[in-house]
Amino acid sequence: MDLSLGQLGMASLWLAFALAIYAIFAGVMGALKRDARLQTSARFAAVAVFLALTTAIGIMETALLSNDFSVKYVAEHSRLASPTWVKVVTLWSALEGSVLFWGWLLTGYTALLAITAPNNVLRPWALSIMQMVQLFFISVVTFIANPFIVMAVPPLDGPGANPLLQNHWMMAVHPVLLYLGYVGLTVPFSYAMAALITRRPGIEWMTQTRTWTLVGWGFLSAGIIAGGWWSYEVLGWGGYWAWDPVENVSFMPWLTATAFIHSVQVQERRRMLKSWNVMLIVLTFSLSILGTFLIRSGVVSSVHAFGDGPVGPFFLGFFILVALSAFGLVAWRWDQVRDNAELDAAISREGSYLAGNVLFLAMAFAVLLGTLFPLIVEAISGNKVTVGAPFFNQVSIPIWLLIFLLMGIGPLLPWRKAEEQSLKKNLLFLLMGALLSAGLAFILGIHRVYPLLTFALAGFNLVSLGLLIGGAVVPRARLSGRNVLLVFKQYAFESKRRFGSMIVHFGVIVIALGVMASSAYRVDQQMRIDYGSSAQFQGYELKAVGPYTYPELSILQSGTLTEQDVSHISIGAKVEVWRGSKLLKVLNPRINRFLGRPEQPVPTPSVLYTPWHDIYLNISGELNADSTSVTLRVVQSPLVTWIWLGGLIVVLGTAYALSPSRRRLRETHELRGSAQA
Amino acid sequence: MKKLIYGIAGVVILGIAGALIYKALNSSLVYFILPNEYAAHPDQYKNRRIRLGGLVEAGSVKYDDKNLQLAFEITDSIKTYPVTHVGAPPELFKEGTGIVVEGHFEGQTFKSDQLLIKHSEVYKPPVDGQPIDIKMLKDTLQ
Repeated sequence: MDLSLGQLGMASLWLAFALAIYAIFAGVMGALKRDARLQTSARFAAVAVFLALTTAIGIMETALLSNDFSVKYVAEHSRLASPTWVKVVTLWSALEGSVLFWGWLLTGYTALLAITAPNNVLRPWALSIMQMVQLFFISVVTFIANPFIVMAVPPLDGPGANPLLQNHWMMAVHPVLLYLGYVGLTVPFSYAMAALITRRPGIEWMTQTRTWTLVGWGFLSAGIIAGGWWSYEVLGWGGYWAWDPVENVSFMPWLTATAFIHSVQVQERRRMLKSWNVMLIVLTFSLSILGTFLIRSGVVSSVHAFGDGPVGPFFLGFFILVALSAFGLVAWRWDQVRDNAELDAAISREGSYLAGNVLFLAMAFAVLLGTLFPLIVEAISGNKVTVGAPFFNQVSIPIWLLIFLLMGIGPLLPWRKAEEQSLKKNLLFLLMGALLSAGLAFILGIHRVYPLLTFALAGFNLVSLGLLIGGAVVPRARLSGRNVLLVFKQYAFESKRRFGSMIVHFGVIVIALGVMASSAYRVDQQMRIDYGSSAQFQGYELKAVGPYTYPELSILQSGTLTEQDVSHISIGAKVEVWRGSKLLKVLNPRINRFLGRPEQPVPTPSVLYTPWHDIYLNISGELNADSTSVTLRVVQSPLVTWIWLGGLIVVLGTAYALSPSRRRLRETHELRGSAQA
Repeated sequence: MKKLIYGIAGVVILGIAGALIYKALNSSLVYFILPNEYAAHPDQYKNRRIRLGGLVEAGSVKYDDKNLQLAFEITDSIKTYPVTHVGAPPELFKEGTGIVVEGHFEGQTFKSDQLLIKHSEVYKPPVDGQPIDIKMLKDTLQ
C-alpha cells in the first residue's frame, strides 16, 4: 500500500507527540530523582522530538512543492501557478501551518538547549518546562488544527495563499522573525521557572539565558519593524502602524521583554528585583500566548483578515494555565524571591532602570487595556466598539518621551548613588544638547509640542551617548597616552555588551525621529490624473504616462493566457516622478488580482524611497486596462525610511552585543572553573 | 519612611496614569452601529466618531470624478442615510455591497473619511421583499 504524504505527516506528528510526552516524563523524573541517565534520556528525546517535527515540516514542504492537493492544508492554501517561494512560505501563511512552524522552531530551540546548555541543577527543569510548552504546540497541531488531514476527493487546484500575504516577499520573513522572538523568550521563562522550582532565585537563571534573551528580543524587535514595513508596502494607506490588535499583541511582549532586559541588570549588580524579574518574564511569555489567542480566535476584530480557527479556546486555556501556574509558583516561593536589598537612592542607575520599567509596564498595560476594552464593553453593554488610534497615541507618546528622557540619563548614572557634582555637569551638557536640537528643529519649521520634544530628546540622547563614550575613552587615552581613536576602537571591541547597547539606543533615537516626523508631518491627498498629463504634489511633478499591466497588455488582450501561466494579473498606472527637470523614478502603483482568489483584489502601492521623505502612490478606486485616467492616493511621509534604518541599527547593535568578546570568554571560563570547584 | 515615600509616589503616578488613560479611552471609543440604531438614539452619538455599517442602497451612488466626491445612501432596510465620502469608490464597491464607513454625522448626512468593503460568504443580500436579518447583518459587517 502506498502511503500518502498526509499519512506520513500525521505519523510524524504522532511520533513527535509520543516522544514529547516521554521527554517530559523522563525529564521531570530525572530531575526529581536526580537520575543522570533519565536526564540524559530526556535530552536525547528533545533532539528526537525536533527530528520528528523536522520530518513533518519536510513532508509539508514536499506536499506544497509537489502540489499534493490530497493534503487539506495544501488544497486550501496553495495553488499550482504560485511561484516557488510562495509555495515554500505557504507553510506559515495560514493557521495550521503557522502553529506547526512555531512548534518546530520551539523544538529546535529545545534541542539546541539540550545539547549546549551547561550541566547544572537548573537544566533538567528548564528543559522540562520547554518540553511542556512544546507539547502544547504539538498537541494543537496533532489534534485541533492538524494540517495533514487527507482530502477524500482532492481538488485539481487550490485557491492559493491569502493575497495580502503573497503580495509581498516580506511575508516570508516577518512571521519567522516574530516566532523566533517568541520562542527565544521561552528559554529565559523556562529557566526562571526552573530557578523557582529548585529554590535558586539568584542570578544564575538570567546569566545563563542572557544570550537567548537578547536573541529573542532582537528577533522580536526585527519582527515588529518588519511587520511595520510589510504594512507600509502592502496595506496601501501609507502608514505602518495602526494600533490594530494584531500589531498590539506583538508590541506588548516586546515592552515587557524590554523592561526585563534592563531590570535583570539591576539584579546582576545589586541583587535586587528578584521577584520583579521573574514576573516580567512570566508576563512576557504569557502575553505572547494571550496575543496568539486574541488574533487567532477572532474575538477582537482586526483589519488583518487571518482566518479564525478552532485553536482559540486552547490558546486561552494554555494562557490561563501558564499564568496561574507561573504566578502560583512565584507566590509559593515568595520567601525566596523577596528582596533584602533596598534602593540606596532614587537618582542612581538602578533607580532609573526601575522608573523605566514602570513606564514600559504602564505602556504595556495601556495597550492591553485598549486592545481588550472592546471585549469588556461588549460583555457589559452589548455595544460593539473599537478603540481608536487616538487613545493609544495619547497614552503612549508621553510615556515614550519619559522613557527617552530616562534613556539619556540612566546609563550616565552610577550604580547605588550619583555624586551631585558629576551629575550637574552631565545634566548641563545634556540640556545643551536638547536645547540645541530643539532650536535647530524650530528654525527648520517644526513648531508643534510633541515633535519639538522628540527632537530635544534626540539631541539629549545623542549628547548622552557622546558623554558615555567620551567618559570611557578619554581617561584611558590620557592615562595610556595613546590615540583617542585607537582607544575607542579597543573599547568598542572589548566592551561589546555596553557598546552594543549604545548602538541599540542610537537606533531607537533614529526610529523615534522617523515615527515622529512621518506621523506629525504626513501629507495625504487623493488626485485624479489623466494619462498624458501631470499633477503637482509637494514640489514634485507626478506625470501619469499610461497604463501599467502585468503581463504585458498585448498578452492580456490576446486572450491566450491560461491560469497556469501566471499567478496574478496586475493593472496599474505608470507614473513618472519629476523634480524640476529631473526624472527621479517611474512608479507603478497597481491592483494585483490573484487568480485563485479573484474576489480579493489587492491595491499595491509603489514607493519612491528617499532619506528625507517618501513619495507613496496607491491606486484609489477602480482601474481598467483601457482607463484614460488614474485616481491616486498620494502620501508624503517625512523621515519614514529612518524607521526601517533605525530598526536595522537596533538589530545590528543587538548582534554586536551578542558577538563573542574576549572578556566574556574569560568570564565563562571562570564560571566553569568555579562551578567545578 | 523611605518605603512610604516610594509607596506614595507610586500611588500618585498610578493615579495620574489611570486618569489619563481613562480620559483618553473615553474620548477614543468608536461605536459600531447600523443606521436604525443611530435613528433610535441620535443624541448618544452626537459629535462622536462612529463606524456605520450597512448596504449600499440601489440606485443611490453618485461619483464626481473631478472633485473626487462620492455620495451614496447606506441602509439596513429599516433606516437609510445619505453618505458623503472624499475619494474614489474602491474596487468592489457596488450597489448592495456590505460596507462600513467611519466618520461622523453632520445633520442627517454621514461624512465618511474611511470606507471599507465588507465581503462575507456568510451574508447574502436578501431577495426583494424579504426582510433582512439585522443581527446577522451586524455580525457579518463587524
